Amino acid sequence: MSGQKQDDAEHPVAKSDTGQEWDDPLDELAFRRAEALKQGGEAAIERQHGGGRLTVRERIAALTDAGSFREVGSLAGSGTYDAENRLVSVTPAPYVAGFARIDGRPVALGGEDFTVRGGTTFGSQRRKGGQGGFVEDLAWHYRIPLVNLIDGAGGSVTSIRKRGHSVFPGVHGFERSVSLLGAVPVASAVLGTAAGGPAGRAILSHFSVMVRGRSQIFAAGPPVVKRSLGMEIDKEALGGAAVAVDAAGTIHNAADTEEEAFAQIRRFLSYLPSNVWEAPPVLPADDPADRRDEGLASAVPHKRTQPYDMRKLLKLVIDRDSGFEICPTNGKPLITLLARLGGRPVGIVANNPMVYGGAMDAAAARKQVHFMELCDTFHLPIVFFVDVPGFMVGEKAEREGTLREGMRAVFAAGRLKVPTLTLVIRKCYGMAGMATCNKNDIDLKLAWPSAEWGSLPVQGGVAAAFARDIRAAPDPAAREREIEAEFAAYASPFRSAEAFAVEEIIDPRETRPVLCEFVELAERRQRIELGPRLRGGVQP
Amino acid sequence: MADHEIAADVTGTVWKIVRQAGEAVAEGEAIMILESMKMEIPIEAPAAGRLAELRVAEGDPVAEGDIVCVVTA
Repeated sequence: MSGQKQDDAEHPVAKSDTGQEWDDPLDELAFRRAEALKQGGEAAIERQHGGGRLTVRERIAALTDAGSFREVGSLAGSGTYDAENRLVSVTPAPYVAGFARIDGRPVALGGEDFTVRGGTTFGSQRRKGGQGGFVEDLAWHYRIPLVNLIDGAGGSVTSIRKRGHSVFPGVHGFERSVSLLGAVPVASAVLGTAAGGPAGRAILSHFSVMVRGRSQIFAAGPPVVKRSLGMEIDKEALGGAAVAVDAAGTIHNAADTEEEAFAQIRRFLSYLPSNVWEAPPVLPADDPADRRDEGLASAVPHKRTQPYDMRKLLKLVIDRDSGFEICPTNGKPLITLLARLGGRPVGIVANNPMVYGGAMDAAAARKQVHFMELCDTFHLPIVFFVDVPGFMVGEKAEREGTLREGMRAVFAAGRLKVPTLTLVIRKCYGMAGMATCNKNDIDLKLAWPSAEWGSLPVQGGVAAAFARDIRAAPDPAAREREIEAEFAAYASPFRSAEAFAVEEIIDPRETRPVLCEFVELAERRQRIELGPRLRGGVQP
Repeated sequence: MADHEIAADVTGTVWKIVRQAGEAVAEGEAIMILESMKMEIPIEAPAAGRLAELRVAEGDPVAEGDIVCVVTA
């Protein structure tokens, strides 16, 4: 291992094609280190900057605590030797990796150096980064988070000629990448154009972010699309953030700049322990746990067809400025938010009545499954803010497999081990409602007085169940209203509370104190159940 | 001066037009209300400015992602 810092600059440099020999091996070490710092050369670095992108070394410096980068593998590369076998120059391996600290906590991190052969391989049998790369071993063995700074399109066909044979898929497989997802936080930033292996690795992350207008991700880029489908499409239209983040949810979040992407990664990691054997990091809370916000009393409109801003509501409850939304632009009927309550990290799953009344569609269900498993893996309690009328309906929803994806959310909720709290704000209907609680373990069902629930809403439900009765009446519409009115009385949440079907109905203004207390109480249980989660069964 | 093209977040129908083309709008003010999944979903001005263009009328069906109006801020 070398102990190279990024600001080393003054070292001997080869000035001709004639190689050098050194009497003191320390001089050779210094020369080789200097060669590594040249990356792909000035012209390539200029091109990288010209594209509005940082170099991998600049990225590492921008992401991590100042001076904390401890490089590993800095001498790896391809040496050029003269006729006497003396070293002329070294082209560094197109991947820079090592340890560093983020907010004082250690991480393993690495990224492709796009200035060196576009971040492809460098001919060694051993990989520094990528799937099966040494950087993954660092994270795995030291049990610390992994950050991937992705800027490469994977293997180059030129390596076939070098090796004399082609490589079977999986020789450098994703096995370690998969194991890491159950052990330490993995965050990936897509900073250039990612295809192939690097694109796959970005997906095998707990959190991923890309830069709007600067980075793209796809299974294969425009030339392959042209050859395979005869379709002309540019890389931004194929895999820019509008497609990969907003439309597809392939990548969780978008950032406007690389710096903002790094800030998002730092923020994401701040809620999580370094590994699944440690408890989530508790911070001193400067927002009183007993704060009651008057605004909550009027947050939900009386008219049940009128939506409200769930994000604003959540802000009134969580520790001030503690929220970080994952996947804000995909699966929009649902909000998934990392936040703190009394300084303790929690995961919040909230329905968004502004989009399809909060009905769960396929994208929202996928988003909920990933987020619940993230929280469960790292032992963050989950708080559900429920306002869900059910699964999304209609032909489009059926074609997207909403029922299957939605039941997958029910399945995933059903095997949560982490403490869960279900707070019904307004609607909680049907199977989508069942995806918001888990009666296996610590689980508390609370509701606001505005709550309503059931297998299906009285409106519509009455029309279906009493169709014959309604049709036979002299005034069918009046008969339908009459039956609905009768049933509406039973739908009061207080009737359910009488039957102890929910544990408590709370004043909305008490929400924060009650949640903070619950999360603090649950901590004891969390601490004795740390470690990896074993998830059995087959997802539907 | 920037044009904000406002897209519908939901598939549904235009239930009510609240502001007419040419009128001034405040940030967060409802320009129109869509009906979808039995909910009244407001389309709000992203910034204060003028409603430059209204591309739909009451009763029109809209699909998710359709541009329904343009606000010049």
